[in-house]
Amino acid sequence: MKKVQFKSNYSQYFFLAPQLLILLIFLYWPIIQTFKDAFTMQDAFGFGSQFAGFDNFLFIFSDPSYFTAFKFTIIYSFVITVITGSIGLLLAVQANKVMHGKSAYKTLLIWPYAIAPAVVGVMANYFFSERYGLLHHLFNNLWGFNWYENVFDAYIYVIIAGSWKQISANFIFFLAGLQAIQKTVIEASIIDCKSNIRRFWTITFPLLMPTTFFLIIINITYAFFDTFGIIDTTTIGAPGSETKTLVYKAYIDGFKGLDLGSAGAQSIMMMIIVLVITIFQFRYIEGKIHYN
Amino acid sequence: MKKLISIFVLLVSFAFTSNSYSKTEIHWWYGNSGFLGDVIIEIANRFNESQDEYMVIPTGKGSYEDNMAATIAAFRAGDQPHYSQVYDAGAAIMVAQVKNGVVIGFEEMAEKYGIDVDADNYIPGIKNFYADGDGKMIGVPFNSSTCLMYANMDILNEVGIEEVPKTYEEFEGMAQKILDAGYIPLLQSHSPWIWTENFFSRHNLLMTDGNNGYDAVPTKTLFADTEAFVYHWTKVKEWYEKGYYGYKGRAWGDNQAPFTNGEAAFWFGSAASFGGMKGVLPNFTTNPIPYWDSVTGGKEYPTFIGGAANWILNGHTEEEYKGLAKFIEFMGSPEMDLYYHNMTGYAAVTKGGIELAETINFYRASPYHKAVGDQLGLEGSTIPGGYRAGNWPQIREVIYENVEPMLNGDITVEKALSNMDKGAAKLLKQFAKTL
Repeated sequence: MKKVQFKSNYSQYFFLAPQLLILLIFLYWPIIQTFKDAFTMQDAFGFGSQFAGFDNFLFIFSDPSYFTAFKFTIIYSFVITVITGSIGLLLAVQANKVMHGKSAYKTLLIWPYAIAPAVVGVMANYFFSERYGLLHHLFNNLWGFNWYENVFDAYIYVIIAGSWKQISANFIFFLAGLQAIQKTVIEASIIDCKSNIRRFWTITFPLLMPTTFFLIIINITYAFFDTFGIIDTTTIGAPGSETKTLVYKAYIDGFKGLDLGSAGAQSIMMMIIVLVITIFQFRYIEGKIHYN
Repeated sequence: MKKLISIFVLLVSFAFTSNSYSKTEIHWWYGNSGFLGDVIIEIANRFNESQDEYMVIPTGKGSYEDNMAATIAAFRAGDQPHYSQVYDAGAAIMVAQVKNGVVIGFEEMAEKYGIDVDADNYIPGIKNFYADGDGKMIGVPFNSSTCLMYANMDILNEVGIEEVPKTYEEFEGMAQKILDAGYIPLLQSHSPWIWTENFFSRHNLLMTDGNNGYDAVPTKTLFADTEAFVYHWTKVKEWYEKGYYGYKGRAWGDNQAPFTNGEAAFWFGSAASFGGMKGVLPNFTTNPIPYWDSVTGGKEYPTFIGGAANWILNGHTEEEYKGLAKFIEFMGSPEMDLYYHNMTGYAAVTKGGIELAETINFYRASPYHKAVGDQLGLEGSTIPGGYRAGNWPQIREVIYENVEPMLNGDITVEKALSNMDKGAAKLLKQFAKTL
């Protein structure tokens, strides 16, 4: 193959520039600003700025509601990952089997993915409204549902609101994963094993592992960051601060409480947490996955 | 091609004509929505129609918190409006910003650009709430409310209660009757504002050290140390368990809705909730918020001013400030003050407005409007008419975070109040560092 080479030594920078500029403005500059905020103490308007060392970090570590938010975020991302992953997989396997009207099923199942989290939250708000909420009445008849004060009930509220839309994302990727599995492998396995379930767990599911791994990361990131709009339109962190995610807490402290130092420190903590989780996943889980 | 050129020429000439007629624009950001937001737009429209040199452009930014955050972000980006509505909890932050050249005080503005409304024309209580340590008025009083008790008279008539309760003791005595008839006796929409800040003012008690922050930068709140406050929340918890008091979460509207729908007998809200309720609920009255007879010994004290003021932001041209001065003058006129009072239920903030109301016998025609002025006008308080505590929006959050576990029984009242004190002390310390 003939090597294609640009004549100038600089033209590559020219072509890279727009992309680099976007990264610089929207990614690196905010990160630098966040570090600056986290290590300074300043008033809301940015005056009286002085170096604070680790004061902002000590401040958040001495805040019990920070640990509540940490605990909730971990529980929330775990539950959302499991629920959306398993339901998404179940739906994908079933939709893959359908013979007639396949694209209709697919379209309907993918639809919710296009809805913005804030809108999902507002819809959930209706379902859980004490006045006219269907789910509120259902749960209330079952065990006396009251998310205003009961932590468990509030968990149910935000978990249902947070999972619904993300099931669609899981569905799309699992369906694509299923369709990428070679027919011959499936056919060969049918000859060897009669049990549908056993065939699924021994042949299909291992072949889906790359997709599953990808979705675990996507789901955790979603539960960490994208559920912000859902929390803000449903429980706003109540009762207590039991349903505040770390992102939501940083927002409340930074934008409602106008304490940018604390919000900056929380953002950096979040960066570290996500980094640790991702490293853990790549080191310990990815090793067990076979890519084709 | 010829056609295109002629269209282009036409467009350009339009652009120039509109330019030559253009007025000096004054941007006013606000944090009210719904009905209250509509009234703000109406005020701007009236001003714009009253003269043709200046144009006030009102922009709603969502809630009070949203507007404050937006204003700060805009200032940091050098793109701030001329005039912005900031609420009571943010007053300490805004007053502190005069020395940094963010905010221009009302009196400085009046001196420089000749505003025909004197600071003394505003009611003293309201003026002092938005004044600096030397008593110079910084924020321009605008929508001033306080918490009031709304009563559904149809329910009270049905269960045979003739008079609305003046004290919490009286309320306690009638709550069972209301509950038995199938109604929620009491709801309230803002635990930090109504049952914390204004609990202290209503009972003439200090809320923070440093004389509510007026004498010294406060270092702690006095929640758990105030016996009456512990007593109050112990009672509230008891009422909640008995069903006398219904908690519908933190959202203002969720707590108001059952009252507006005729399911609750009493609701504590803002004086300004009146405008939206009129015409929806047929037979209601506005009343002063109750107090504990056992705490004050039968005496009544005024509550703090709630709501918001407008703040003049630095960094604009002389011409624009002249226009803003005209607008402030316009809003401070007795007619506009009374118009706003009448439409929204917010208190009249100028002496001229109150005089006008008396001259035309306004309160006889509309007795709803009276309670707010009556409650704010009470005398005999020995505490300051407000509180100067920074980071207060976050302290309100801390209060909410502890009210819920207290009501559901996860923590005791004493524990909840001492948690609030601890959280508040840390936030106050943090704020003191930025001064």
